[in-house]
Amino acid sequence: MDPKDQIISLLKEADLYQNQGLLNEAKERYKKATDIIKDSPKIKNGRELIANIVKKVVDLNQKINQINQAASKPTVSDSKQALIKKLFSGGGGSDTFTSAMEGAMALAKFGQFDRALEEFERLLDVEEVRVAAAKNIVRCHLEIEALEDAALCYERWVGDDRFTYAQLDKIRFFLAGRFRKLGFERELYQREETVSDEDMETLEMESATPEMIERRPSVLEDMELPEEDEFLDINSVGIQLPEGRQKGRMVEFDVSFQTGNSINLIISNKESALLEELVEGTKLNDMQFFSPIAILNGSGVVTAKTQIKSGPKEGDYSLDITILTT
Amino acid sequence: MAIFNFKKREIECKIVYYGPGRCGKTTNLEHIFKTYKKQIAGEMVSIDTEGDRTLFFDFLPMGLGKIKGCDVKVQLYTVPGQVQYSSTRKLVLKEVDGLIFVADSLEVRREKNMLSLKDLHENLKSYGTSIFKVPLVMQYNKRDLEEEGIPLMPIEQMDRDLNRQLKAPYFSASAIKGQGVPQTIMECLKRTLLNLQKQLKWAK
Repeated sequence: MDPKDQIISLLKEADLYQNQGLLNEAKERYKKATDIIKDSPKIKNGRELIANIVKKVVDLNQKINQINQAASKPTVSDSKQALIKKLFSGGGGSDTFTSAMEGAMALAKFGQFDRALEEFERLLDVEEVRVAAAKNIVRCHLEIEALEDAALCYERWVGDDRFTYAQLDKIRFFLAGRFRKLGFERELYQREETVSDEDMETLEMESATPEMIERRPSVLEDMELPEEDEFLDINSVGIQLPEGRQKGRMVEFDVSFQTGNSINLIISNKESALLEELVEGTKLNDMQFFSPIAILNGSGVVTAKTQIKSGPKEGDYSLDITILTT
Repeated sequence: MAIFNFKKREIECKIVYYGPGRCGKTTNLEHIFKTYKKQIAGEMVSIDTEGDRTLFFDFLPMGLGKIKGCDVKVQLYTVPGQVQYSSTRKLVLKEVDGLIFVADSLEVRREKNMLSLKDLHENLKSYGTSIFKVPLVMQYNKRDLEEEGIPLMPIEQMDRDLNRQLKAPYFSASAIKGQGVPQTIMECLKRTLLNLQKQLKWAK
């Protein structure tokens, strides 16, 4: 093709792409046209042509920068926020609180944090979703990089009669885990009677590990409906030993602590044969999970085993198990 | 997931327009809004836009009359197409009942089409479903640009790139001119409602 025709064609394409909003493609065509002009000394007014193209490219770059710098999730009007909440709050069989939680989560995921925080604050009044709402409030603050505000929220809740000690402990460990991951050193208020030293060790293992958090690009990806609803409250577990001298033996343990699909058991140091078999990484294919409403069969994996160094359970072992299937 | 209200005898389902940025998803919805005013149950809402780019989603509720004695309502959505709005796309895609994949016929957008389809596939997977299980129609848009001498991909090539395994019905379109838009949505509605009918029978 004649260079002149090529240039005309490229400029036409570039203009069209620009009108289509395909700014990078337009820029690329302008560049190609410029290259041809530079390589074709016979083209009249080559310099003026290039100067004109350069102006267009400068314009394009400004538009591209504007788009890149614009807020990816701008705050929208109240009516649009209400629509977001309505459309994404899960209809059908969802109960009111679940629906409200989903609506608030949708607002947060669309970047409407102020409104989401208001909604989550209201849900703190609801026992069934209080902890999940509190965790989501924390997540919102973390997402907008207001880490100190997240800490202050927790400290405000410490003096709030709505929260039980157990609920506060769950929130504190959740928040502490997030702070650790973010490298934010901030002591969180801990009441004297919160937990004993050995329970503290146990509970700390229940916080989301850095590896779990690292997989997720944004804390909002974590947002879920109440963890308590997603996984049954498990009171005790039955474990059938997979290997060793006691292969096939079913033993039952009380669950001392549960976070989502992770449970913690305390095993007496007298159970030496058992303790030999249950090491980090042991896959437990035949487990029974005893909850108030059902007995489920499933599997799990031992994720940690630690000997308790002090307190009434000194010498016993703390075992973490992650539930894989139920 | 479609909502069945047996008491009121109402069915509400969700159809999402998916595709790369600037392919014509919003233009499709705008044409439907202009053309089918009688069936439109409310206003077309765009949340939110930067200039003419969708940042969050577009939404258009429609009423379709009765099927098996039930009032059928459809919610049409578009997603933002730019790469950086992945989490928003995923949110809008939740519980989808029918899909329209709008592909850009411009040769320079070939790769973007394929990446967008892959993105759709992965988002559906994250919800525990499959692109093969949701009623899907392909639209090869911007065919009018051929008249302007702009390099377009042949339909056969687009179908090979995007539809070889899916084998979904496809339509050529020029959303800006309204060509192919009604056919695309009608086919998607038909497939979506057939799928829902099966579920209704199971529910009965």
